[in-house]
Amino acid sequence: MNKAYAVLPCNGLDKCAGCISGEMAIQLSKQSKSEIICPVFYRVAEAKYSSVIEALPLLVIDGCGTRCASKLASEKGLKIAEKMNITEEAKTLGIDIGLSIPINEAGKALAMTLVNRILTADKPSESTLDDFIQMPSLIYQEYKKDKFLFRVPENKGFYFNENDVWVYVVGNKARLGVTDFVQQSLSDIMFFTPPSVGMEIEQFEEAGNIESGKAIFEIVSPVSGTIIKVNERLLDAPELINQNPYEQGWIAEIELSDFEEDQDLLHDFEGYFPVLKRKVDEFHV
Amino acid sequence: MPNVQIGVLSCSGEEMLGGTLARMATRKVMEKLRIGRVVSLCLPLYIAGGEEERNFAKEFPVISVDGCDKSCAKIATLKYSGEVKDTVIISELLGKDVVLSKMVSARDLTDVHYKMVDIIAEEICKKVDAIVAE
Repeated sequence: MNKAYAVLPCNGLDKCAGCISGEMAIQLSKQSKSEIICPVFYRVAEAKYSSVIEALPLLVIDGCGTRCASKLASEKGLKIAEKMNITEEAKTLGIDIGLSIPINEAGKALAMTLVNRILTADKPSESTLDDFIQMPSLIYQEYKKDKFLFRVPENKGFYFNENDVWVYVVGNKARLGVTDFVQQSLSDIMFFTPPSVGMEIEQFEEAGNIESGKAIFEIVSPVSGTIIKVNERLLDAPELINQNPYEQGWIAEIELSDFEEDQDLLHDFEGYFPVLKRKVDEFHV
Repeated sequence: MPNVQIGVLSCSGEEMLGGTLARMATRKVMEKLRIGRVVSLCLPLYIAGGEEERNFAKEFPVISVDGCDKSCAKIATLKYSGEVKDTVIISELLGKDVVLSKMVSARDLTDVHYKMVDIIAEEICKKVDAIVAE
């Protein structure tokens, strides 16, 4: 027997994953007694959907890591019965959903697969926490291009390499992560492969990688030393890098072996900000 | 405004056909008809507090594309970014019956739907060109 849901899709327009969430909502309403909640109209006319939300379990379908539908549900205090993220599901299933709208055949097939799964099965998920270096309150300089915002912290202690990886140095330890240029260029980050704790790395060696639907980015360490901690939250929530790569989206902490020497090949804020602006102007689309 | 970029904020409704047509036309303008001139703004994200979308809409001219006269896109723009440079209301272009008809799955879109998308896209382009010509 088919289940029925109150379906809250993100219906995003920027990426076709949002359109697939809408397509799934339509299919669910056709194949079961599910009802669609329009995320935009719900904000305008909440009462219109109150009976549906009361009567049916809520299924939230996000297109990407921005998770607009989940945020809306949380903002409204709705109890989520089931959740799905199209971009993650596509990656897991090895399906290329492309970029254009109308959605391609693979996108339509993905929608059908996920709808069938929702109507016939169940599944769970969980996460963990971690912390080490105390970060100061960050002061950002911003550079805008179209609707994209690129921030760089100007606090003392921050250094950057040309590979768009930052390091914040405190004594003989440091925290590192990627800059806004990386997360904006990659778009929705779906996977994080951390460096191993205890691993010794040289400056410009790989300290893990992150992956989006667009590309894999090798995190090039700005410093040499021994990895002493990784941000385990990213294993379950790599989208934290998109949310803020300098704060909750940091990558790892490292005990420095020769920062004096490493520093010669790094930029401070003054040096990196023009580099970022040039890259944004030349490469970012 | 020869170098200006223009935001197009489209209805994202999926309860009726108008929403589907609005988003398809918006993407067509951005991806095929006025490449580089138009930036699409995601209405659900915009309403959810997306700073990039809202700030863009404050700085650059925005055309709202609404499926029906509920005008969710226009109202949101006025609320969060202050001004709408121009509007397209699809029910005025194609008739209320069309936009209020039942939503259509991507699998069931026909040539008739694609022709409607073309009409809307053409109208958006006219508005874009008028802003550029100012």
